[in-house]
Amino acid sequence: MKWFINNMFGYWILLLAISCGFSAIVYQYFLRDLMK
Amino acid sequence: MFDFTVAGHVVPVLLLVLTGFTVGIVGGFIGVGGGYMVTPALIVFGFPGYMASGTDACHIAGKAVISSIRHRQLGNIDWTIALSMVGGTMLGVELGVRLLNYTKAIGLSGVVLLAASVCVMLGLFIYTQLETQKSHKKLEEDRKAGKEIGREMKVSKVPLYFQRIPIMPIIKAKKARLVISMWVIVIVGVATGILAGFLGVGGGFIRVPALVYVVGTTSHLAVGTDLVEIVVSGGYGALRQSMSGNVDFMAVFFMIIGAMIGAQFGSLATSFVRGPAIRYILSYSLVLATTGAAMRLVYVLTGGTIEWLAFVAVVFTLGEMIFLCLFIVSLVWFSLRHQHGKTVPEWVPPLVVST
Repeated sequence: MKWFINNMFGYWILLLAISCGFSAIVYQYFLRDLMK
Repeated sequence: MFDFTVAGHVVPVLLLVLTGFTVGIVGGFIGVGGGYMVTPALIVFGFPGYMASGTDACHIAGKAVISSIRHRQLGNIDWTIALSMVGGTMLGVELGVRLLNYTKAIGLSGVVLLAASVCVMLGLFIYTQLETQKSHKKLEEDRKAGKEIGREMKVSKVPLYFQRIPIMPIIKAKKARLVISMWVIVIVGVATGILAGFLGVGGGFIRVPALVYVVGTTSHLAVGTDLVEIVVSGGYGALRQSMSGNVDFMAVFFMIIGAMIGAQFGSLATSFVRGPAIRYILSYSLVLATTGAAMRLVYVLTGGTIEWLAFVAVVFTLGEMIFLCLFIVSLVWFSLRHQHGKTVPEWVPPLVVST
């Protein structure tokens, strides 16, 4: 976990993974059916 | 959840407000209108290409006004350069809108816009990445040599070549501390204006690097000066796109609500970071927006047969926007911690202002 914070690339990966995970949940459960 | 229909596609209001908000933060921070992210994103979310371009052009004009006011207060605008560029920018926008209307007439606006976005953003990403690496290396060398590190640094010698072009009229930009032929600035305006009019963007994603690497201003001045130009290109672009029937004003309204809030925070955040951090965010946003747009482009080019690709494109496009906001917010937080003498990761100090 420390590597993800202390390394810029690691921090980049961690934030992107959290963001994409969050957006996947929002899209799948709240937006997908609406946008069909 | 509130939603409405744009050209036969249902679009949730939440998605538009979120898009406006995230692009507002990113745009205010790196000085670009954020339009290069919006047009591909709206296409990924189901907008027809020409409608995405027109809606984008309208929303960025309003947002750029808010960001410009903030940057004027921060002293980040060189009015000599900004006013010299206006004529070129408007001519370029007119040419770009005419090109868009042609692709709309032949029914290929979506594919052409996605392909153009991917090509432009990818090329720009490679260039800014190389320059960022170079400036980061010089920063490290200066730190090791014990030299004082300012808020801004110049590493490219290309602007010196353009500043030596002796074609009249020559202008003196006091704030940027440079002397340059006005034609260089006008040509930069025309070139970025064509892209702005066609893609429906403010053109900042190409104008900021052009101001830094061609004209020779600092990153912070490029950001503020570019925003003035976006008010012009966005305003004129919005007018021409509306006349062509390419705008959905309900979508514009909801995006501006989000963007107004985001732009205020993004502009304020620039005072917590050094130039290289702005270039990092610009590079990241380019490559991430390119990836989402490229996935959608492949989906369209394969005739919509790869269903999961459309899903991943939407998720990634939403995710990259949230990521960029989190990254900027965390840089401000790290900067505040650094200023108060608290521990921050090793990679943070070269990117943030310490006093």
